[in-house]
Amino acid sequence: MKKKMCLLALLAAAAWLLAGKVLIVKVLRTQLLAKPDFLSNNLATMQKAARLELLETQGNWYLVRNANGSKGYVHQSSVSESKVSLSGIMPGKKGASDEELALAAKGFNEGNEKQLRGSREYNFADVDWVLDQDVAFAAVADFIKEGKLK
Amino acid sequence: MKKLLLLLCLCLLLVSWKLPSLSKISKAKKGAEMVAGATHKITEEEEYYIGRAVAANILSQYSLLKNKSLNRYLNLIGKALVLKSDRPEIYGGYHFAVLDSAEVNALSAPGGIIFVSRGIIEMAENEDELAAILAHEIQHIVSKDPLQAIKSQRMKSLGTFAAGEALGSSSEVLSIFKNSVLDITGTLLQKGYSRGQEKDADLGALDLLVAAGYNQDALLAMLEKCRGIEKKKAKAFSAHPSAAKRVDYVSDALGKKSGKDMSVRFSRFRKNVSR
Repeated sequence: MKKKMCLLALLAAAAWLLAGKVLIVKVLRTQLLAKPDFLSNNLATMQKAARLELLETQGNWYLVRNANGSKGYVHQSSVSESKVSLSGIMPGKKGASDEELALAAKGFNEGNEKQLRGSREYNFADVDWVLDQDVAFAAVADFIKEGKLK
Repeated sequence: MKKLLLLLCLCLLLVSWKLPSLSKISKAKKGAEMVAGATHKITEEEEYYIGRAVAANILSQYSLLKNKSLNRYLNLIGKALVLKSDRPEIYGGYHFAVLDSAEVNALSAPGGIIFVSRGIIEMAENEDELAAILAHEIQHIVSKDPLQAIKSQRMKSLGTFAAGEALGSSSEVLSIFKNSVLDITGTLLQKGYSRGQEKDADLGALDLLVAAGYNQDALLAMLEKCRGIEKKKAKAFSAHPSAAKRVDYVSDALGKKSGKDMSVRFSRFRKNVSR
């Protein structure tokens, strides 16, 4: 009887592993937030391709758990659903799917940009300057509050 | 105990055997769909790299105004708006910068790099008017309007490569990439968006301004200024349709007043935007 119970528990665990949804960060970096609000506390910064366990959906926000076990919120625009959830949980293959790799290789990517660098028609140095002048969410939050914005 | 371990191993084997087969079926199905449709759907990462190249091309034609305090102010306004948009997070994030040009102009490259000219900043009289310009450009990014400037034939060619029907060489993909960039730059700097795209961006900007707490009337004020200088050929921001028509439909769409207390915004605008 005990063995049967254990077997059932194992099968249930396998089913849970298969059913559990995994989200993948699809932007260069995003934040794990304390509340479903961009201006709430940042619990962790996550990089592209980080895998998150989906716990709950709240409107446009997901409650997730990251690889370190921290729970928090991410906006749906920053993540995509993983097609093969087990690869994120089980040992072995990590990172982009074969389809993602194929598209990255055959589509537009950093390699295209490298071939344009150095051409007079493309000023990437100033593009990099623009991208370096970033402002933190905390500064945006202060700016909103000070200006009586929403 | 041994039996249990054996059962567990069997379970895992079953799972690992089953998944690849499902994955193969899914891949075969997707491949068939892609070959049939053969139009490449641009990913967010690709949008980012096209956008960088479009911005680089624009910055080979216009000088960048590297005023850090003005640039920071512009980015704070822009990001306050972006957080209320339908696309708050994109691959490389939104970035706002100033072109050192007297032209009255604002441009949005794919992937969230938004330029405003020194001329249009000088035309704005307060922070809300500057926010109105940015809100309009953000709406173009939200709707992915710059990507729609790419000729459909290019995406069909790229789709064929991606589907594996004909393996293109890297020089062929680079050629499609360069031509796609030129399609977009041509639309941004010369041709302009369609009337429908501009109207949607204007109406979306009104919603965005209200959502962020800015005054909707600011967009109308900027369009009226554009109408005043239209004879001088103000580009992009007032290009298509005419500013007069835009004033009409924006006036009709204006909702309740918002952005009630503007005093701090007035003072920080004066501090950051020198005349």
